[in-house]
Amino acid sequence: MKESNYSCPYCSTAFETSEELKKHVISAHESEPLPSPEGTIKLIINGELQTFHVEPEWTLYYLLHDKLGLTGAKMFCDRGACGSCTVIMDGRPILSCMTFAIECDGKEIETVEGIARKKHPLVEAYVNNHAMQCGYCTPGFVVTAKSLLDKNPTPTEEQIRSALEGNLCRCGTYPQHPKAVLEASKILTEEKGD
Amino acid sequence: MGDYEKIAEEGKFKVGADVFEVVFDKIGKRGVRRLDGYEKASGEAIYNRDIQLPGMLYAKVLASPYPHARIVKMDTSKAEAYFGVRGVLRYDDPELKGRELNGSYFAPEWVNKGLAGWALKPIHLVLGDEAFYEGQPVGVAVVADSEQIAIEALQLVEIQWEELPFVLDQVEALKPDAPILRPGADSNAVFAGDLVEPVHEVGDVQKGFQEADRIIEFQARRRAHLWAGAELPCVVVRWRDNNLEMWVHQQQPYHSKMLISEWMDIPMNRITVHSPYMGCSFGGRGNPANNSENGMNILATLFAQRTKRPVKLLYNRAETFFGESGDMMVSDFKIGTKNDGTITAVEVKNNFAIYMCTNGIEHFTENTRIPNLRCETVTVDVSIGPAWWHRCEQLPNVFCFTLAFERVAAELGLDPTEVAIKNDGYDGKASSALFEYKEKHGFPARDSLVECIETGKKSIGWDEKWHPPGARKLPNGKMHGIGFTWDHEWDDCRGTGSAAVLIENDGTVSIIGHQSDVGVNSWTTYCQIVADELGMPYEDVRIKAFELDQGFALMSPDGSCCLCANGNVMRKAANKAKAMLLELAAKKFEDVGPEDLEIKGRVVRVKSDPQREMTIKKIVKNAMPMFDSCVFWTEAPIIAWAWHNQGIWGNSITTGRPRLCRQAHFIELEVDTETGLIDVKKIVNVNDIGKAVSPETVEGQMYGGTYMGVGRALSEEMIWDPKTGVLLNRNLLDYKYSTMNDSGPIDALFLETGLGHGPYGACGIGESTPTIVPAMFAPAVYNAIGKWILDFPITPDKVLKALGKA
Repeated sequence: MKESNYSCPYCSTAFETSEELKKHVISAHESEPLPSPEGTIKLIINGELQTFHVEPEWTLYYLLHDKLGLTGAKMFCDRGACGSCTVIMDGRPILSCMTFAIECDGKEIETVEGIARKKHPLVEAYVNNHAMQCGYCTPGFVVTAKSLLDKNPTPTEEQIRSALEGNLCRCGTYPQHPKAVLEASKILTEEKGD
Repeated sequence: MGDYEKIAEEGKFKVGADVFEVVFDKIGKRGVRRLDGYEKASGEAIYNRDIQLPGMLYAKVLASPYPHARIVKMDTSKAEAYFGVRGVLRYDDPELKGRELNGSYFAPEWVNKGLAGWALKPIHLVLGDEAFYEGQPVGVAVVADSEQIAIEALQLVEIQWEELPFVLDQVEALKPDAPILRPGADSNAVFAGDLVEPVHEVGDVQKGFQEADRIIEFQARRRAHLWAGAELPCVVVRWRDNNLEMWVHQQQPYHSKMLISEWMDIPMNRITVHSPYMGCSFGGRGNPANNSENGMNILATLFAQRTKRPVKLLYNRAETFFGESGDMMVSDFKIGTKNDGTITAVEVKNNFAIYMCTNGIEHFTENTRIPNLRCETVTVDVSIGPAWWHRCEQLPNVFCFTLAFERVAAELGLDPTEVAIKNDGYDGKASSALFEYKEKHGFPARDSLVECIETGKKSIGWDEKWHPPGARKLPNGKMHGIGFTWDHEWDDCRGTGSAAVLIENDGTVSIIGHQSDVGVNSWTTYCQIVADELGMPYEDVRIKAFELDQGFALMSPDGSCCLCANGNVMRKAANKAKAMLLELAAKKFEDVGPEDLEIKGRVVRVKSDPQREMTIKKIVKNAMPMFDSCVFWTEAPIIAWAWHNQGIWGNSITTGRPRLCRQAHFIELEVDTETGLIDVKKIVNVNDIGKAVSPETVEGQMYGGTYMGVGRALSEEMIWDPKTGVLLNRNLLDYKYSTMNDSGPIDALFLETGLGHGPYGACGIGESTPTIVPAMFAPAVYNAIGKWILDFPITPDKVLKALGKA
């Protein structure tokens, strides 16, 4: 018996061509034309849709930092205690070192590189206020602050401190951060007002 | 005078107040854009951990699981056969067998195998078969296709260990029944080289005690804390045609080069060292003589030689907890004082473990009029990784200084600020001697300590808030405490650096010099200085400190003295370049001499006729470092270099430069007597820094130092299991340093008295705050609850115990 080239992954029905299989999957299973191979995920990273084949043990940090060269996310504590690897996933700040890449299929990710590319006023506000020393933890702060401003464009100093208190900075730049975030907030509000 | 003599003479530090003519435009101004700012805030800054090279392999070293153990037998065959493993280095491989780390460059006559705590360890092999502390790199290293494979391969190494007796506590270690850690020794007390005298005596303490109205005696203790920088250490090496290329997380990349050259016998001119941005250092990554820096570099280089592929050797967070902590001390104090607060004698007997290198008495010499001082120091080997100086090695000095002064003030019921002023001075001489020195050497006749104290008192509200100990209960039920301490400035008397200033052919300026970055905004300050010295716009001056690794190396960002050394390098080089530029300009003007010209912004103009001007761009258009001269004549380029030596580490006697700047620190806190928790309500730091080149940077150093100091005072402590000798909190969840909300408002105030020995009258700022702030908690907690807690950190259990509640 001749082996069929294409079999449906849902019901095992055999087809001669991929076009027939696609038609069948859409009509019979109301699904995407073909499921992705195992380990494939789709991510929208800084507004660009990308697909990746990932190993199950890869963290999102590893994918972003080591594979994509988005090195703004930093490895600092190595266990979710410092916030330096923070990225925004579907609007929420998350710790990319504690998140498996394979679990992120279909998610939208924003990294510090995306925030800087969009010329978000936080970046300049951080520079102006010297809210950095060695700079290693700085991207994590910027991402966390950006996520705060997305939800609350006019935070109080107390709300800023509360949002950022999970980010560690060994250089102790803490007092400069609320100043930077308030400055960015003011610029954003003025831009909106215009 | 030959060229060499000329540059050497020019680079020598001269004692006396700085004389300068420059007009400050950017120097000292706020709002100067920091040069590393955008890269760091945007995530574009590249750190060592971010470096990846095509075909790169990953290496890991075994960390000893025991505090003291020897390898009896080791079988690496399974690891060697493991899929993805590309190499294994064993302690008995010919490249490594019996070979020690080379720290000799630093200490040829002292301890020869490293400094500070490293000197205490009996053996300094790059990879040996015996571990003297848990976490010590030992036995075997693996290189593999991925970090994960390397970790798994290390787990496949079968080792038969002989566990040996260990001791963790330095007091226990001196008892007769303690196990002796050093082979062949009869005690765990160790000679620590010339860095510290076993007995240091000035004057006659017995006489001082006899003259005293009161004798105060007490014991205090500091436990180990860690600098725990943000970036996890790693080194990347590539080996091509007998040339070594390395990317190091090293504060002093030039030293890395010297040491690897010596150990591997690779000529220095065949080594390229890259030092990208560093995620923290604080001096901790300034120890090229230890396992986790030079040792790491050596192993990675051996792997790269063997595999002919780039190798990245990495540490994880837990591995950073070993061999890079601060020291531990138990100190017995005896102080004699008059009833008016005039201290007549101070005696301190210290027992140090893992030891950083200062003895505890030095600040009394450099900072006070106290004529009789005695310090007895025992340094003890224990089964804990050696200490290394990090922000900073003066912790023992400051600890003893603060506690002695605050105990005296408290026992006599005096205002501690008055006791400070009464005893200010240097070398056993009263502060009048400081004024004589200032006058003789051209410094302003200002009283730095009095000014610092007045400024700080106002900011904290000292006169309104000061109260007797245990006397102020707040409406929230907590006890209110207020505290103070003081000290001298840090440090403007050492460091050597060199750099060049080049006027590019478009009229912009490049500073050429190699330097690592630890976040102290040093490049900005160099550009401020060069711009102002030239009279050109700050925006036109740039330094690319990572781009070049030979010829010019700036003083590393170390010891609070990088600006004092490099600031002088900058202005010397700038002024030489300026003179060259004016010479060339005079030729172009034809009818004037260089002395008739001045630089103003982007033009050179005639002083007597400012309308006559020529752009710098036009002047230097043909002043070429290189050009293919087919169609026009080129001119010699405008490039000038300078070298400066700010001096050598030492006290006022050895340097001839008594410390003239002072600092005062104040704290207000609340103690919860039910939970033992301490809330920091406000900290005021007043630092006389002589002259601030970048005010925001000065403030940043004080903010950061305060948070580090709060952590050291209240929560940062390495805790070992006494049964197994294993460190229990080797991660940043259980080892707690300050978060944003662990301190109330911080006032970072600075004075600019011009009393520093550095350029424009500046002195250092980087290390002082985190070193001074911790000990100040003792008098503040005493002021709150009326009990002394002299065992640091002051954790809630100790507070409750002091209150009789635990």
